[in-house]
Amino acid sequence: MSYREKENIINIFSGLLITAIFAWAVYQRHLDGRIDLTDDFQQWGIIFLIYAGVSIVARIIIYIVFHIINAIATREEKIPEEDERDKIIKLKATRNSHYTFSIGFMTAIIYLAIGFAPYVIFIVFVVSGLIAEIIDNGSQIYYYRKGV
Amino acid sequence: MPKRTIQNNIRRLRFDADEMTQQELADKTGVSRQTIVAIEKGKYSPSLELAFKIALTFERPLEEVFTYVPEETTTKKKK
Repeated sequence: MSYREKENIINIFSGLLITAIFAWAVYQRHLDGRIDLTDDFQQWGIIFLIYAGVSIVARIIIYIVFHIINAIATREEKIPEEDERDKIIKLKATRNSHYTFSIGFMTAIIYLAIGFAPYVIFIVFVVSGLIAEIIDNGSQIYYYRKGV
Repeated sequence: MPKRTIQNNIRRLRFDADEMTQQELADKTGVSRQTIVAIEKGKYSPSLELAFKIALTFERPLEEVFTYVPEETTTKKKK
């Protein structure tokens, strides 16, 4: 398995893990009554910003740990440079990811139009963002294996 | 227009070039070894620039390294 494939697998699992832990923590706070997620949209704004920060920091840590473990296991210290094939694969994966998020966005708008509570939009955004990320990394693995 | 596909003789040319490894070819053309593997297997069609770099490495004309053949020919060969 190439470095890029491993990197994408790590991204999928770290994305799932970070989102699951963060969502669980936020939901517990909601159950305890410390935050109100049904009506207070300012809370959603704050949660999204904290999530972005936590996600970036956690990913950097996971990426460093992955690189160290990979370097020990394969004895290759250098991260392979991105070449034209990597760039094409990344572009195609980003396209798939954007399509997925667009579908999620439209789903959220449809939910709003048919009378769902506004907070449902934020949940759909989070879920579609996560699925879009999985599609992005999954597409990359697919293109690396099957070819472009 | 009939559908065509790109085939290559990189594996044979590497063998002729004193059994050049995929890594050596990758280093000379500035791409990763995985990209060379993908090109050899026909899973990736390189850009024109990379195709010329590969041809220059082997000191052969481009059409000797890459050929653009009708898809039916490759399907028949696979059978």
